[in-house]
Amino acid sequence: MPLSTDRSLIEKRIHLLVALSLLLFLIFSIRLVDVQALRSSNLMAKASNELQKTSMIPAPRGAITDINGVDLARSVLSYRIVVDQLLIYNPKEVAKLAAPILNMDREFLEERLTGERRYVVIANRVRPAIWRDLEKFISNYNQNISSERNGYAKRITGFWAERLYDREYPAGRLAASLIGFTNDEGKGASGIEYSLNSLLTGQDGAYTYANAAGAIIPGTQEILTDSIPGQSIKLTIDRDVQWIAQQAISKAVKKSRAISGTVIVQNPKTGEILAHATFPTFDPENRQGVDPLRYRNLSVEEVYEPGSTGKVITYAAAIEEKKISPESILTIPYKLKRYGKVFKDHDFHKTQKLTATGALANSTNTGAIKIGEMLGKEKLYEYLKKFGLGTATGSHLPGESAGKLAPVKDWSGTSLPTFSFGQGYSLTAIQATSIFATLANDGVRVAPTVVAGSTSASGVFTPRSMEAPVRVISSDTAEKMRLMMESVVGPNGTAAGAAIEGYRVAGKTGTAARYDSLCGCYKGYTASFIGFAPADNPAFVMSVTIQGPKGVYYGGYLGAPVFREVMSYVLESRNIPPTKEASTTYAINYREYKEKISKKMEEKKKESGSSPRG
Amino acid sequence: MIASDLLARREPRRTSLRDFDLVLSGAVIGLLAIGIALVYAATRDWFAANGLDPEYYLKRHVINILIGSLLAWGTTLIDYRLIRAYTPILWAIGVLGLILVLIPGVGATVNGARAWISLPGGFQIQPAELAKISIIVGMALILSELTGNQKYPGHKDVLKALIVAAIPLLLIVSQPDLGTVLIISAAVVTIIAVSGAPTRWIFGLVAVAIIGGFTAVQVGAVSEYQVKRLESFIDPSADPMFSGYQLRQARITIGSGGLTGTGLFQGPQTNGRFVPEQQTDFIFTVAGEQLGFLGAGFIIFLYGVLLFRAFAIARRSEDMFGRLVCIGVIAWFGFQTFENIGMTMGLMPMTGVPLPFISYGGSSMFACLIGVGLLQNVHIRSSR
Repeated sequence: MPLSTDRSLIEKRIHLLVALSLLLFLIFSIRLVDVQALRSSNLMAKASNELQKTSMIPAPRGAITDINGVDLARSVLSYRIVVDQLLIYNPKEVAKLAAPILNMDREFLEERLTGERRYVVIANRVRPAIWRDLEKFISNYNQNISSERNGYAKRITGFWAERLYDREYPAGRLAASLIGFTNDEGKGASGIEYSLNSLLTGQDGAYTYANAAGAIIPGTQEILTDSIPGQSIKLTIDRDVQWIAQQAISKAVKKSRAISGTVIVQNPKTGEILAHATFPTFDPENRQGVDPLRYRNLSVEEVYEPGSTGKVITYAAAIEEKKISPESILTIPYKLKRYGKVFKDHDFHKTQKLTATGALANSTNTGAIKIGEMLGKEKLYEYLKKFGLGTATGSHLPGESAGKLAPVKDWSGTSLPTFSFGQGYSLTAIQATSIFATLANDGVRVAPTVVAGSTSASGVFTPRSMEAPVRVISSDTAEKMRLMMESVVGPNGTAAGAAIEGYRVAGKTGTAARYDSLCGCYKGYTASFIGFAPADNPAFVMSVTIQGPKGVYYGGYLGAPVFREVMSYVLESRNIPPTKEASTTYAINYREYKEKISKKMEEKKKESGSSPRG
Repeated sequence: MIASDLLARREPRRTSLRDFDLVLSGAVIGLLAIGIALVYAATRDWFAANGLDPEYYLKRHVINILIGSLLAWGTTLIDYRLIRAYTPILWAIGVLGLILVLIPGVGATVNGARAWISLPGGFQIQPAELAKISIIVGMALILSELTGNQKYPGHKDVLKALIVAAIPLLLIVSQPDLGTVLIISAAVVTIIAVSGAPTRWIFGLVAVAIIGGFTAVQVGAVSEYQVKRLESFIDPSADPMFSGYQLRQARITIGSGGLTGTGLFQGPQTNGRFVPEQQTDFIFTVAGEQLGFLGAGFIIFLYGVLLFRAFAIARRSEDMFGRLVCIGVIAWFGFQTFENIGMTMGLMPMTGVPLPFISYGGSSMFACLIGVGLLQNVHIRSSR
């Protein structure tokens, strides 16, 4: 074969080619080692710089529920839809397609899609279902258009969504001032939302993802720290009682054309508040144009002079100090002059002889002054303090005022008589309720609370911490006071309208001159009624406070019906058994007292007469 | 020597599996398998994320491989010496394809190059890929049938061979598809060198190729097409330096793999499609990122096995035609592989050529597998 002789040159050239190839392989291998092994970490870092983004995983805020777990405030998942304008090639078309899904104005959307900004929020608070619809639509659209010629470039890209949580208030206006609301950043701005913000706020997590042209590269998400949802707060509020209370106070305030009104229903034994209604209120989900003053929780923020409801402190202190007994006979004049000032009762009457019980039931000012004077400044002040005046109740509600109670050294000559019938110092509705709760709870003051406890994300319930109860008066005094206060609701009392059939009810009305901070003068009245039921073993205390009513302004007239309506519901819904008639009643006036005494004497005689026989 | 004589002398025999170079086939099958995995990995997640069929490329790639394998098998059936007899026809068909693609309405323009002929059923064919084979067999024919009674090709033979190569090459330049031109040029020079042509020709042609290639890049015959191609893929604002983007991303992607890679389907660079043309020309970056140094090194090793087996076949070939065909195929595979991998690693200038056996693309796959068929054909018909 001629080929064999030709081998030399051709073989040589093939060998050369093989050698050249080997050299190239060597160079490539070295380069591969260089790129992947030696410079690898550097290039890896570059790669992650190119891609790696860290994003927040928002933690849902804890819910606020009523005592039965009904949501009063909750966080629901929502989306914020964002676009990268550079990735939207045909804003007109995209706007036309997306606007109906997002329920947006087409022109407005087109405007938001046009430009060179890489982060434009086109919709906030988008419900997950709507975002899913949009995603599905885009996906379908892209699938269809991609099968077209040159369709790949016509795909819709550049949309993405950020997960957020929206705050919802399913109960609306109900308890709005108590619960409060969150601001645009999701932080509590008022009410419980504000005061317990740190508990309610969860811990945002973080995740990293690789990003390409505004889209997350599949399979690159990695959670760095998981988000921890906030704790949910269980309130002591019972939504149903709250609703009844809200209805009743709204009606009463409207009817009396008052400035505002509050209702508090509290369990005197535990301090737990079942209802905490305020009127006027607001819609926490639609706060536009609402006067920020309306956000105030009047029950704890507004101070007023209690008037006659404050008299119970004077009476309780005097009984505790053994200055009087429920049936001590007092001479009650229509008016009394002290330090140049004349104090009068609200209705003219001839000087009368009443028992202490009768004086309380008639709510006489001169009687209260007389009792106050028996106590003296120091003692009265001591008991006012003991009943919690001048100190916040410990409800931990935001903005709670301590009220105003001047120390004895600042008292003028008229202070003692004035303070004795509940004027001259001021308190909040929650303090006023607390005074009556103390009487109802056998003289022991328990800090009122609206919070039952908190539940962590893992489901662990932590009950609220309780403050140590404080004994204010003896249980004997408290019992006497309760019995005396039953006569207020009795047929001759100032709040006969508060009586609830089948139950013994005790309470006290208050009609106080209202200090108006606007004019710096007394203008209008504060009408209130605070009571509890059943009187012999009180299950609930309730206060009704109405500020600045027009027309008839008596506490008994305005407050008693509200009390009756709400308290009836509470007693019934809680299955509180009806109570029997009181076994003992106090005499109201001297005549009754005398009758009672002679009756007793007769009985005693009978007894002593019959005993030898029996 | 005339083909008919050969046919008369040799008994037609049936080839069995043992007659094939199994190491060569093994290397090719290995590369094809890796290619299937990489094409899928380069496209799956992105397509899924954009609401498209995630298996779109995978399916088509596998179909391409099946068709290509049939073509390769068919190529081994006919004795290469018979093929030699039909070389002029093969060459003419190749040139005809290249002329057809330039006719508007027949040739489709993709990414700035009129390089495709649309076939019914949504398939497209790239005549330039198949022209590689036409040129190789054409030159092998000329350089194995020398004029006069000389040992090695003279000037006249080299010139004839160059004309055989130049006609289709000029047609490819006018598409323009400069990557393919570069590969074919390398094969042309290699075939001429191995044929035993005077050394002057070799150096002269290498010099012409280098200067020609350099001026083409400088003058800008390349740039417009390259830039356009990039623009359609790159995030418009991501990197204003268009020309640097692809190379930089390619290197970052390979480098981010490290020793063992991120694992198949796991690469963020790949899934983010930071490197354009990832299932075709830049598929080696997917290997680099997801399979790491070991995987990429193994791919280079398989190419090494493939080429050195091909060298052995070339050396054992009983005639000059068979040998030059093998050398042409070696030069084509080798240079295209070096160019492709070299470009992704920053060793070679950037041109759009697919990675043999691995990149997605029907015509390239068909041509490469036919090339393997030619190598096997020569192997089967050589005495061992």
